[in-house]
Amino acid sequence: MKRILVVLSVIAALAASFTAAEAAKKKDGKPDGGTLNYGEYGRPATLDPVTSNEMISLRITELIFNGLVGINEKQEIVPELAEKWEVSKDNRVYTFFLRKDVTWHAREGEQPKPFTADDVVFTYHIMMHPKTITPLKVRYEFISSVEKIDDSTVRFTLKRPILNALAKFSFKIIPKHGPANSDYLTRDDPFVQHPVGTGPFMLKNVTPEREIILVANDNYFKGRPHINQFSAKPFADQNIMTQALMFNAIDMIVLVNPRDIPEIQGDKRFILQPYNALSYSFFGYNMKNPFLADKRVRKAFTHAVNRQEMLDSFFNGQGTIISGPFAPGSWAYNLDVQPLAFDPQKASSLLAEAGFTKGADGFLQKDGNKLELTLKVPIEKESEAIKRVVLAFKNYLKNVGVDVKVEFKEWQAWKEDVFLEHDFDIVFASWVFDDSADISSLFHSGEIGPWKNNFGSYANAEVDGLINESKLTLDHEKKRTINRKLHAILAEENPYTFLWTLTNYTAYHKKIRRVAIHPYKFFTFADEWFMEDGK
Amino acid sequence: MKSYSQQSGEIGEFSDLPFWKKANSVDLAYVTYGLLVVTLVIASYLLGAFKLLPHDPQDIDLELMMAPPLTPKHVLGTDFMGRDMLSRLVVGIQAYFLPGLLAIFIALFLGTILGVLAGYRGGKFDTVITYLTNLIDSFPRLVLILLVIAAFKPDIYVIMLVVGITNVPAVASLVKGKILFLKQKNFIEADIALGLPTGTIILKHILWHNCRSILIIQATLGMAEAILMETSLSYLGFGVQEPTPSWGNMVLAGSNYFMKGQFWPSTAPALAILFTILGFHLLGDGLNNILEGKRDK
Repeated sequence: MKRILVVLSVIAALAASFTAAEAAKKKDGKPDGGTLNYGEYGRPATLDPVTSNEMISLRITELIFNGLVGINEKQEIVPELAEKWEVSKDNRVYTFFLRKDVTWHAREGEQPKPFTADDVVFTYHIMMHPKTITPLKVRYEFISSVEKIDDSTVRFTLKRPILNALAKFSFKIIPKHGPANSDYLTRDDPFVQHPVGTGPFMLKNVTPEREIILVANDNYFKGRPHINQFSAKPFADQNIMTQALMFNAIDMIVLVNPRDIPEIQGDKRFILQPYNALSYSFFGYNMKNPFLADKRVRKAFTHAVNRQEMLDSFFNGQGTIISGPFAPGSWAYNLDVQPLAFDPQKASSLLAEAGFTKGADGFLQKDGNKLELTLKVPIEKESEAIKRVVLAFKNYLKNVGVDVKVEFKEWQAWKEDVFLEHDFDIVFASWVFDDSADISSLFHSGEIGPWKNNFGSYANAEVDGLINESKLTLDHEKKRTINRKLHAILAEENPYTFLWTLTNYTAYHKKIRRVAIHPYKFFTFADEWFMEDGK
Repeated sequence: MKSYSQQSGEIGEFSDLPFWKKANSVDLAYVTYGLLVVTLVIASYLLGAFKLLPHDPQDIDLELMMAPPLTPKHVLGTDFMGRDMLSRLVVGIQAYFLPGLLAIFIALFLGTILGVLAGYRGGKFDTVITYLTNLIDSFPRLVLILLVIAAFKPDIYVIMLVVGITNVPAVASLVKGKILFLKQKNFIEADIALGLPTGTIILKHILWHNCRSILIIQATLGMAEAILMETSLSYLGFGVQEPTPSWGNMVLAGSNYFMKGQFWPSTAPALAILFTILGFHLLGDGLNNILEGKRDK
């Protein structure tokens, strides 16, 4: 009880201080106030936009930071920290004119510092420093240099013109005075736990229970956000998280467990809102296994698996079966290519064609070698859905005479087996895409090697050629045509058995209004959300 | 005539009554229940080994997932993949039976050797062995197992190897204590005076005649320990891996549904664990009291 009182008094104090800041209010007539508690499955390791590599931190950084450009609900590029920009005729020089009214969140006992071009230059350099460990580096290799023209102007020069370059300038800017080490950023830097940004919310504190508390930034340049406080409560168990929502201990779940959808759907207090993430799941094959190098075998496997049945039974049918390598919903995805049908007969005849005959134990064999494959699966926190898919897969393949041994491995050991040693036959995994529809790292033969994404060692000269061509072209229509062709070839080649993209659902209490959600960054528009009656 | 009297405490040790007549009735009830559990465990193991089951425990039926108990053909219902709970429960014991025996064997074998060396030879042997067992004891067992799993892979035999080794200190110290106690008795001195070979003294007079009961008790407790350890690991996801059933991974799989009122997939294996471990512990306790004469009638 004491704790609740303390929290209440803190909120009261905050509310009192906010009334002073009338000037920065949004002028849309919506009420300010309220606390939004949302449940996350797990705890983020870091809270800064550079070193973070999981979805939970990505969502938090979306609340704390801004990029030079942003994206609106119609997926169009809009000004953010840069109020306008110029692009040179050869598409190689981008000049950004920055807003002059932006300040960084003030640290305790400090005056807020202004945001300047130095911060942009600093962010780029720290991101690209060899000692900084970040997944972003590959994405920004196309930039050749960055220079500060004056305090509010910054110029990027590209190595080569690329399509849709502007969207890539949405990376989050961090302050020059932020990190303790100004050369590179590692997870040991205090900044990654106590980030300072320009965004609508500022980090207040992280409680000993690892609850992350963010409060409204009164000086936010787009106007103070309506909701006073966001707090991310970590849960170690998805069932408990759903129950916490049902008993009003939290107001929102970012990603609802598919199993709990019917329960929430039947409750009038809550709104269940779908959003499509650019991601899909697949079974990936290792071409180093001579059996799997034969594309007839891989195609047979795809035919043998009843993807619709799995989707219906395990995910309440909340998703779409896919046929090829691009993120469904992206412009690159080829809707003319149909997913291969569930057809065990066809699978068996393809396997027979590849030279397999039934052995004495009922399993297929070729030249005395049994068709026996190892499927490696990481032991993950939410393993139930994965377990179901993997076991069903094993069962489908058993029905056509293939013996799949499922091997569960600890996460780090699994990554080493798959990405470093390439010691596996089949893996079950998912890719999450950003909006660039770039699959070059997955299927280009130049990407075969330790810790590279083409872990199945898939090599096909035609695919390589098309990927190169697609990277170089600047014509959107031409790029689309190339990608459609790539899609068709890979759908036929089956380096993966492409499974499905799942529809994600968020659930929240009705009192939260005007909730718009970004497909993978989620909280992009959260400054516009408000609570009914400001409570 | 010289009168001869004996202290009452020694009657137990030297009387000719069979041990079950000397025993307390509570202990007998414990042991009976324990033996019943052991019989059931062995029967389940044999049923599983000879595939005398209502269903194949790995048969997936996606049309009939999470069927409640007393569904036709599925007495205990089905799990999250539509697999028969009863068959999986019966086969689940296989996850512990042989691996558990391995753990017990390692603990008893190494523990006895070290205990005898420390107790009978004493001196430097004792010092070194005490250090060694203290060293093993000072590792948190679960952490040690998780490390081994990360280095190799989650395999129940590997896990039980570690369980066995970490149980060695307990057995060693029990055996050592017993030997130190026996060494004060005259018969060992007499053995040595008679010129019996050391091997005979240790194997026959010390281990067989005097340590057999504590070893049997340790064995029953070891099986309970093995089941409990696998269950804890399974709950973390590191125990016996799907599709092979074990009671631990069945509880884990079922726990996802417990909150939603579908209690049977976790409750059935949980009860099996409860009654089995209780059985082994009571058996150990009862035997301890009866064979070691810890409780008077």
